[in-house]
Amino acid sequence: MRKSLKGLVMALSSIMLPGTGSAEDYIQVGNLVDFTGASSTVGKPYGQGKMDAMNYINENGGINGKLLDFETFDASYVVPRAIATYKKWVSRKKVVFIQGWGTSDTEALITFVTRDEVPYMSASYSGHLTDPKGLGPDTTKGAPYNFFFGPSYSDGSRALIQWAAKDWADKGGEGKPKYVFMGDNHPFPNAPRAASLSYAEELGFEVLPDIQYSLSPGDFKAQCLTLKESGANYAFLANTSGSSISILNSCDTVGVDVQFMSNIWGYGEDVMAASGTSANGVVWVMGAAKWGDDVPGMETVKAVSAMSDPSVEEYRAVHYIRGVCSVFFMKEAMEWADENGGLTGPNIKEGFYQRKDWVPAGMEGVCPKATWTADDHRGNTLVYIYRGQVTGDTSGSNIASLMKDGIIGMAKVGESDIPRRPEWLGQ
Amino acid sequence: MSGSEMLPCGDFRTSYKADSTIFSTKWIRMSAVLTIVGCLFIPFIFDLYVLNLMIQIAYLGIAALGLNILVGFTGQISLGHSAFFGVGAFASAYMNNQWGIPVFLAIPLAGLWTTAAGMIVGIPAGRIKGLYLAIATLAGQIIIQDFFSRAGWFTGGAYGALAEPVTIFGYVFDTDERFFYIALFYLVIMYVLGTNLMRTRDGRAFIAVRDHYLSAEIMGVNLTKYRIMSFGISSFYAGVGGALFAHYLGFVSVESFDLLLSIQFLSMIIIGGLGSVSGALLGTVFMVLLPEVMEFGVSLLATTTWGDIPAITEGLAYIKEMSIGLAIVLFLIFEPEGLAHRWSLIKSYWKLYPFSY
Repeated sequence: MRKSLKGLVMALSSIMLPGTGSAEDYIQVGNLVDFTGASSTVGKPYGQGKMDAMNYINENGGINGKLLDFETFDASYVVPRAIATYKKWVSRKKVVFIQGWGTSDTEALITFVTRDEVPYMSASYSGHLTDPKGLGPDTTKGAPYNFFFGPSYSDGSRALIQWAAKDWADKGGEGKPKYVFMGDNHPFPNAPRAASLSYAEELGFEVLPDIQYSLSPGDFKAQCLTLKESGANYAFLANTSGSSISILNSCDTVGVDVQFMSNIWGYGEDVMAASGTSANGVVWVMGAAKWGDDVPGMETVKAVSAMSDPSVEEYRAVHYIRGVCSVFFMKEAMEWADENGGLTGPNIKEGFYQRKDWVPAGMEGVCPKATWTADDHRGNTLVYIYRGQVTGDTSGSNIASLMKDGIIGMAKVGESDIPRRPEWLGQ
Repeated sequence: MSGSEMLPCGDFRTSYKADSTIFSTKWIRMSAVLTIVGCLFIPFIFDLYVLNLMIQIAYLGIAALGLNILVGFTGQISLGHSAFFGVGAFASAYMNNQWGIPVFLAIPLAGLWTTAAGMIVGIPAGRIKGLYLAIATLAGQIIIQDFFSRAGWFTGGAYGALAEPVTIFGYVFDTDERFFYIALFYLVIMYVLGTNLMRTRDGRAFIAVRDHYLSAEIMGVNLTKYRIMSFGISSFYAGVGGALFAHYLGFVSVESFDLLLSIQFLSMIIIGGLGSVSGALLGTVFMVLLPEVMEFGVSLLATTTWGDIPAITEGLAYIKEMSIGLAIVLFLIFEPEGLAHRWSLIKSYWKLYPFSY
């Protein structure tokens, strides 16, 4: 009862007196997640990764001794709620950093974070967020306060095309390989489209007309028949995982013989478990190491995971690990800011520019190296390419045991460092 | 629907002018003006969070009134309102970016563009009604939404379009405090226009079409003309609301204008009260504030001892979402005529106190 009264009084006073209570020793951070909305399949592991990582930092010395006071808000992928919460954070909580989520909230907030000078780290890796000063050929206005950790959607598709070209040569394929771009007509799948098609042409692919399939899962046998008739060798899947599950199943039924390649949000352990052998052999973009890899930083990731799972039995998806990485980059940028003029938005932004080929301490081998500069926010250009393997029946068991039994698995088949061509900035 | 039949006993109107007056007493007129004047001080009192909610209420409220003119007053149905909202947003940004038309002019012009789009989509309304019209407008929603993502020249395609802030004589309305006045200005203008529309010949024709289209036609009301006109006016409101939304955010993305938003507009007017100008605003206030109130309730719960129970803390997000749905259902059961009706009941209770009969 005591606690409830005290809590009530505190909560009430927080409405009456906006902006009070933020002590010097706390760093105010907003954490926007999607646990219940349209993108929650991948939003849950990513958001949990961010929360665990921030709790881990608080329990291990904080930012030079200062603790992160972070507030997590589930905006359910609804833009007005994200904006209202953003305004609340800026005016009452006085946040100096926001860990954001997907395409919708990130793009709606670009103008606001620029004006309010709040660095915003998103899980949207859209190419046009990489141009802080508007120097790219097609950029109309820069996004100076937007950061993301991961290969941009465009760079991810370029890496896959590089891999496909090499694969074609290795297999001794004759003539021009045929490439097809598949996705919904929607901002997220469309983001890498132009980059992907022009790069495929550049590397000598024959580019076939796009095949459209919806972001929401459904029966895609018609699309798979089109794909089969087109004679494509490589097909890029631009949608998210739910839709991938459907199309892989449909195409397996129809009997399509094509090498599928998927974007970063379109494939993972969940797709392998749900699609079973239909999902075997898909090649996709990874932004970080996978759970349980034998790399030095995995110990830290395990300790982070123990924050919400003390038994350390849970399996963490690839998206979880990218969430952890994005928080650790924020941590070190904040540490620099703290030592160089104080924890303000512009200083933390400056903190991102301080290092080249940067891997946060404790994350070696987990997060690929990243470099941000004042003119170029293409932080991560080193793309890991993995291939999924499904060897048997996946029904009726969970991801952790499927991985342990080796029914599903993934192996690195290559990596490529995408050059920072000036004409690719912001695309 | 509400209003005239709620007149107290002894209040006889002897002229048409008195019958169609907006403010029935001097006191009501005074308080309306005072409320608007009071609103001018809001940016000095409240912080960004509250301002943002009020700005949301303003641009959504304008669009909701448009839909109420179509659904509540003319008795048509539209599932494509959010697409028109989007047309306004993109058109305003486009005219400003490509043709250099100042934003404060681009906003009403975007309303006119949307009117044209709405009248085209509304053409089937001349021939079909009810569920069939609902599906026809749904088709409009899908076609326009697809157009948004394909027409890169107009919307910027996947990258979206930038929208500059409103500038009047070099003064930039780029902060929430400043934009609030723009939003308030349009809200007042559009609601005054909406109220007056219902006092005109055209407004009465809309109501006649809604109440009994056969009788209306026999009386000389051109059904096709008024149905399409209603679509046009409704779209004008959506367009202005959408343009305000665009210039407030500074950025328009194709993603914002989906079917769900259309449904939300419908729920705003159903909760507020079909066929009521003030109902559109009340419904918008309800729909915008409900998630915030729930969020606050949930955070309050988390600070109490209940917040220590894992099942509750983990389920809080779901409790919040479910209670929003529940609130809407309860509303429809206990107040099917909407908030506007409830408001007039409260008013008459006090007016007639203690001898209500």
